[in-house]
Amino acid sequence: MEIVYEGESLIYGVFGNLLLAAAFSFALLSFFSFLISIKNPLDVAWKKIARTSFILHSVSVIVIFALLYFLISGRYYEYYYVWQHSSDNLPAQYLFACIWEGQEGSFILWAFWHCILGLFILKQNNEWSAPVIMVVSIVQAFILSMILGVFVGDLKIGSNPFTLLREHPDMANLPFVQLPDYLNRIEDGRGLNPLLQNYWMVIHPPMLFLGFASTLIPFAFAMAALVTKKYTEWVKPALSFTLFAVLSLGTGLLMGAAWAYEALSFGGFWAWDPVENASLVPWITLVAGLHVMFINKSRQKAFAASIILLSASFILVLYSTFLTRSGILGDSSVHSFTDLGLMGQLLFFLIAFIVIAATLIIYHIKKIPGVKEEDPILSREFWLYLGMLILLVSAIQISFSTSIPVINKVFGTNMAPPVEVEAHYNSWQVPIASLILIMMCIAIYLRFKKDDKKRFFKSISLSFFLSLIISIALGIYFVFSTVPMYLLLFASVFAIIANFIYFINKLKAKFKISGATISHIGFALIMLGSLIANAKKDVISENVLNVDLGKDFPNNENIMIRKGDTLSMGSYYVTYTGQRKEGVNVFFTIDYFRYNYERSTLSKVFTLEPFVQLNERMGNVAEPATKHFINYDLYTHVTYAELDKGDDEKDEDFTKMEEVKLSIGDTLSTSRHLLVLSHLNSTQDKESLGLADNDLAVEASFYVIDQFGKSKEMKPMLIIKNNTLLSKTEELDEEGIRIKFLNILPKENQLVFNIQERKSNKRDFIIMKAVLFPYMSLVWAGSFVLVFGLIISIRNRMSSK
Amino acid sequence: MKKTHIIALIVVAVAFAIILSSLSNTSTYANFSTSAKNPGKTYHVVGKLNKDRDMIYAPEVNANLFTFFMIDNEGKESKVVYNNSKPQDFERAEQIVIVGKMVEDEFIASEILMKCPSKYNGNEQDQNNLSYSNESQ
Repeated sequence: MEIVYEGESLIYGVFGNLLLAAAFSFALLSFFSFLISIKNPLDVAWKKIARTSFILHSVSVIVIFALLYFLISGRYYEYYYVWQHSSDNLPAQYLFACIWEGQEGSFILWAFWHCILGLFILKQNNEWSAPVIMVVSIVQAFILSMILGVFVGDLKIGSNPFTLLREHPDMANLPFVQLPDYLNRIEDGRGLNPLLQNYWMVIHPPMLFLGFASTLIPFAFAMAALVTKKYTEWVKPALSFTLFAVLSLGTGLLMGAAWAYEALSFGGFWAWDPVENASLVPWITLVAGLHVMFINKSRQKAFAASIILLSASFILVLYSTFLTRSGILGDSSVHSFTDLGLMGQLLFFLIAFIVIAATLIIYHIKKIPGVKEEDPILSREFWLYLGMLILLVSAIQISFSTSIPVINKVFGTNMAPPVEVEAHYNSWQVPIASLILIMMCIAIYLRFKKDDKKRFFKSISLSFFLSLIISIALGIYFVFSTVPMYLLLFASVFAIIANFIYFINKLKAKFKISGATISHIGFALIMLGSLIANAKKDVISENVLNVDLGKDFPNNENIMIRKGDTLSMGSYYVTYTGQRKEGVNVFFTIDYFRYNYERSTLSKVFTLEPFVQLNERMGNVAEPATKHFINYDLYTHVTYAELDKGDDEKDEDFTKMEEVKLSIGDTLSTSRHLLVLSHLNSTQDKESLGLADNDLAVEASFYVIDQFGKSKEMKPMLIIKNNTLLSKTEELDEEGIRIKFLNILPKENQLVFNIQERKSNKRDFIIMKAVLFPYMSLVWAGSFVLVFGLIISIRNRMSSK
Repeated sequence: MKKTHIIALIVVAVAFAIILSSLSNTSTYANFSTSAKNPGKTYHVVGKLNKDRDMIYAPEVNANLFTFFMIDNEGKESKVVYNNSKPQDFERAEQIVIVGKMVEDEFIASEILMKCPSKYNGNEQDQNNLSYSNESQ
């Protein structure tokens, strides 16, 4: 008998699946009709069909996106994706993040950006619109196939975001989904991973996917150029899109770096994690492609090189998609999505585009025109070429090391990643970055074609010598440990100064035409900041008591600090003042003090609150806290803490209640302290206690003296209100003493107290790590300058059409 | 020979050097017995925590010393010394990868990677925790 389920809103799923089918079919229709219209330019009807199909396709994708948001915000748990990513008490700002937490939703986000970019090009309606959107359409068909969720025979194509919970393979066999009212039995959705409930999760993925999506446009132009045999004309219209791709992918990467630095416990902003690398490599090839496009434009040559580089960038984006989504990286990355069994399909997507691009390029390469003469060494194009080749070397090195899991899979080898990941990458990337920075200076001071030797050396010498002096001074000030670091120091200073002088002298500080120099300064600032922050980072939480086992095994980066204790760290004194639970987070309050010589006291400078997120489902996660200054950042991370204790101490932690009768002046000894009852006060301030005139409040003063003779005062209080006795317990947390004032016995001239002592004085403690990153602000300042420079370039290109 | 050819040759040579150096930089996955045969060489060893034996972490004495016993995939057990603080949630790890070398009878780990129950994406064994009420009625 068929079960009639109660309360389901199936109509949305039907609608969603119709939209998916429409989006997929219209993408294919758009591709084929554009193809026909390009072959028959006179046939206007096909072009019209093609344009209409792309619009309908885009509308479908946008509505799918909106529908998914509607279902997530409405908590329609009958849909597996909604149940998996949303929950009842999820704050509204994270509802969008639910969409792209999973693979299906992030494919939709990616497709969404392609539609927006495609519609923009469609609106321009020039000779390039048709062939470019043709390429966009076929890519869209591939992406949508990833979320179709249909079966062709036994082959499952895609994973559908509108699958019902009761039909999902993980759920379908559970007995409860056989109940007609199963929906009412679902109390809550599984919700967004608390680790990702962070504002970065709201802004970083959309930016990164916009970056991925925007690499498609230069690729589409390059393919369109080959298909239409307009081998040279494509560069001008494609240039601003390439700049946009460099901008958006670069911003996405930098946001990821900022997230890692602020919220994850990497202890840095770039960990050379496989997924970070996988999205950095296309950016590098894209930058190389962009620079070759400048040669294309100025010298009418090297068109094949830019076509190859732009194609490689898009294919590398597909490769990065394959790495993150196929599950092949396994445990080697924090970024991987859950494996949905799409490996075959993702591989097909990747290989299909390698084959398409390679075939078209090989077929056309001989026909691509261009001046074949040699470039003189003193010409801008020579150095741009050289720079491009060095960028390629950089990309190859990163790709090779990142692909070790893939190589293992293909060749059956058993290689593990490099032991010291950062050192491994830096040994190549630091010299490469230095060369690139130096080339930035040389290329910008050289003219295209042949330049005059004297003129060139004369114009660059000021920057060169100025930079040399500054970097020697900086080198003496900072002192680095290796030669490549000094090289990078000089190169980045040189790039900043040479570009800045060029901006002032040659460009007369006109921002409009200075996009390139400003971007270069930004990039050089990032490099300089990374160099100083990484090479000169200082672990100030050093545990000097331990035996150092040598450089291989840093054993003294963590330090134990008990609640209330003050330890000296670097130029600070650090106190741990306690933990506090707020929602799912346990915050640790850590105060930083500086010694004030004038008053010879410690004065508080700032407080940091790193926390540990209690995460039943995925394990506890520690999140560091960082204090930012202009010249350094102070990173503080709790590496270990005992969490179960919390704030409300249990009574069993204390000795049993013991009533004692004391007179003024009596002394009582506990296991660790002496308690002296010194005097009795009646409180004058009755109002603040809410007492009437005939009520009474009496305070007993105790001196609590420890083994070193240090004393503290405790004032338990007894209130007599309406002839009833009320006692207020006083507690000294650090000392572990509780006193309750119970009664006054006027005849005996004695007071009755209840004194308790904590059984073990094992105070709350944390193990923390504090790292000082000098001049980290340069990295972020450089990021803004880079983004600003790229935006200027794009605006300039757009307005000069 | 043209300049471009020379440059192209240099690039190929550098790329070749990169691949060779990367290969020499990679470590290998191994077990305790291989590691014991080659003391001083760094390996990645995959295994599980032996929960029957004591994990020792006494931050009062040394906040940067953590020792435990691990059983590798071939069933061989070894003591592991980690000169760092005890990783968060260590007990919950389903699988551990330790990077380091054998020194005498102890494996000195410089790095510990844990495979936790899907920390960053979460799935798999979650059906069991599905919160719904009164299933049996």
